[in-house]
Amino acid sequence: MATKLNKRTVVIVGGGLTAALIARQLTAKGTDVLVIERGADRRNGAAAKIPSQRDELRWDIRGGLGQDWSVETYTARHSPKEDSLPARRLAAFLPGDGLGGAASHWNGFAWRWSEYEPTLRTRLETRYGKQAIPADMPIQDWGVTYAEMEPYHHLFEKLYGISGKAGNIKGELQPGGNPFEAPRRDDYPQPPLEPTQAGLIFKAACEKLGYKPFIAPSGNSSGAYTNPDGMRLGACQYCGHCEKFICEAQAKATPETLLYPVLFERPSFEMRLRCHVLGIDYDKQAKRAVGVRYLDLVTGEEYEQPADVVVLAAFTMTNTRLLLLAGIGAPYDPTTGAGAVGKNFCYQTNSAVNVFKKDWWINPFLASGSTGVTIDEFNNDNFDHGGLGFLGGAGISANLTNGRPIGNRRVPPGTPRWGTKWKEASADWYAHSFSMQAQGAGYPHRDNYLDLDPVYQDAYGLPLLRMTFDWRDNDMKMSEYCTAKIAEIAKATDAAIVGPAAPRKAPFDTRVYQSTHVTGGTPMGTDPGNSVVSQHLQHWDAENLFVVGASVYPHNAGYNPTALLAALALRLGDDLTGYVERPRML
Amino acid sequence: MADGEAAKFARRDVLKQIATVAGTARLSPALAATAGASAVATAAQAEAPAAAAPAAAVPAGYQSLSLDEAAFVEALVNVMCPADHLTPSGVDCGLATYMDRQLAGGFGQGERLYMHGPWKKGKPQFGYQLPLAPEQFFKIGLAAANAACRKRFNKNFDALAPADADAFLTQLASGKVTDPRVPLGAWFNELVYPLFVQACYADPIYGGNHDKVFWRMIGYPGLPATHQRDMVAFRGKPYPGAQDPKSIADFS
Repeated sequence: MATKLNKRTVVIVGGGLTAALIARQLTAKGTDVLVIERGADRRNGAAAKIPSQRDELRWDIRGGLGQDWSVETYTARHSPKEDSLPARRLAAFLPGDGLGGAASHWNGFAWRWSEYEPTLRTRLETRYGKQAIPADMPIQDWGVTYAEMEPYHHLFEKLYGISGKAGNIKGELQPGGNPFEAPRRDDYPQPPLEPTQAGLIFKAACEKLGYKPFIAPSGNSSGAYTNPDGMRLGACQYCGHCEKFICEAQAKATPETLLYPVLFERPSFEMRLRCHVLGIDYDKQAKRAVGVRYLDLVTGEEYEQPADVVVLAAFTMTNTRLLLLAGIGAPYDPTTGAGAVGKNFCYQTNSAVNVFKKDWWINPFLASGSTGVTIDEFNNDNFDHGGLGFLGGAGISANLTNGRPIGNRRVPPGTPRWGTKWKEASADWYAHSFSMQAQGAGYPHRDNYLDLDPVYQDAYGLPLLRMTFDWRDNDMKMSEYCTAKIAEIAKATDAAIVGPAAPRKAPFDTRVYQSTHVTGGTPMGTDPGNSVVSQHLQHWDAENLFVVGASVYPHNAGYNPTALLAALALRLGDDLTGYVERPRML
Repeated sequence: MADGEAAKFARRDVLKQIATVAGTARLSPALAATAGASAVATAAQAEAPAAAAPAAAVPAGYQSLSLDEAAFVEALVNVMCPADHLTPSGVDCGLATYMDRQLAGGFGQGERLYMHGPWKKGKPQFGYQLPLAPEQFFKIGLAAANAACRKRFNKNFDALAPADADAFLTQLASGKVTDPRVPLGAWFNELVYPLFVQACYADPIYGGNHDKVFWRMIGYPGLPATHQRDMVAFRGKPYPGAQDPKSIADFS
């Protein structure tokens, strides 16, 4: 029997980035907030200290900081007609586990999305006509505008001390920045990071071709920084152990570095670590979330935690799964298009081209997590798609993030997989090669969605989440186009060897890491018919239930998702401050 | 401070000195005497040509592998990593030891692996689908591969001439060696091969990459990787630390 606890004002599921930002806004006004997180505080553990931090096998290859697949994984299939199978050791993406969530081991890319992204349907229909968006591509406007989000982007960048170079200040293009950037009120809080040698070679090739390369905005701190809450960052050490690792140098902006230490000092804030939320209690009659049920992973005891307001702030997949498990809202049905829970599940369509030259000293181990040089000419709708036969695009970059030797040695095509020649190629090219990447948009498709698996269960006997996902025509055409653009840039370097241009092709492979940027499942919008939450992230079928994170994105862009979900979380924090005083449909 | 602690710190200092001089100067006999066996081995390795390096400094013996299994694994790593101008043999690099320790440890026992049925075959993109912990799968696959090898060559894998063994592994990797119950292509490509690469390039604390030989081979400097100044000073230039990598043990 579960023990029933005293009611709390706001209960947040998941102790990652969005929870911290919401709690920051709420507790500043003294509102009572409880965050429930299944994982541990790892700030003083082996993951966060030298020498054990620098262990590629433990943290990267074995995924030591991520979700424990023996407890909960996802099942997968390529189409609604197939049976699913569980990914028994998922490699494609890496949900977090612990204080800070996946945001504690992010790479640091801190993009604002293009000004038109929240109104993408309107943008594409205006530019290309009503027929331009295929019937099986449920792109929709989000119900917010960039202008509404700008103050929250600004606040997030100040809190995180983002390093970068503005490309567009109040509509005026800035030399050296991204000419496609959404207008900002001022420059980034810190100057950009040092580019890598790979970035400089990429930059020169891009300039030769008439593109405008720039250094990507980053949560790796380019210098010493103190944020508006008095929290400090040190300078990035370019250690090459960033994504999939916790920064030991206090130089990567993360929730546990900059946000939770402030919250732990506030009297109206409480966090329960090592407590796994099993479900949301929902009163269907009253259309209200009553509270959450969780298992204390230290004692093994189960608790009911009543709440005035429940916020789902877990990883993309978990937000959707908790709604489906509780039966809140109508599950999406791909045959009729009805229902919205699980809809618009998107990924990112990525590809890369390797380049090699003996007298380049690339030194891949001299790198931060987000020392990227990028061009945005072919990203999203930054170029004219008339006659191309696809929508969307990709940011093209030389993002050299590390030289960790198990997973990051490039060898020329045709190299044997073992033996003396394999060793020779590794020795010859390790320091003299790099990769140029496309990070491509993922637009929704009718048959890409999430639901509960009818067969497989987690360690607690609850159904696993099932992904029905594959690369669809639009993804593959877009990837072919953008990968050919990378190949042109590769050839414009003086590389001696240019590896094959391999665009992303079906079938989707769960065995290969591609990106942790899965989005959707609880899309936001203005119409309860095609969205789970409103433009204020309030559930249409439960006024006191809110959902935040990349799960609310109706589509995915060729940008990393973090900064936008952070801005949405800060806005939600402010919205909730008002809601708690006067509960209503916002 | 307890005597043990003092000794530990003294040893750490000595190791740091050795790490500094290794590869550049001969170790003084006095330093070698205080440094302990593994440190001497480290220094000796740096002095000797790669192919003549001493055996791995991790304790001898296997935790998981039987004698027959060890013979297979040793033959495998010596074919995949022959002694040459770049490294000692796979066994001398500790590669068999690495695999053995991984199989005996959490990975081999199925840590972080979803192990609930039903068990069904499916498309390869959905990955491993057998009801076996990796250690069990490794051994069942090893036995099946050895049986296939006997069918073709009339002897066990460890008795093959290196060229035959190499050709057999190529066939395994391309899925041309089959078994009615065991998916040998996936066994080699998704279990054995990744373990081999990890054995070469993981930190030496796991038993492979003895004396950081693979890190030195490619020029990966290892720890501490505090490169704020290096980032600019050595951008586009050879990085001196790449010649003399440091591992977790050097900072422990």
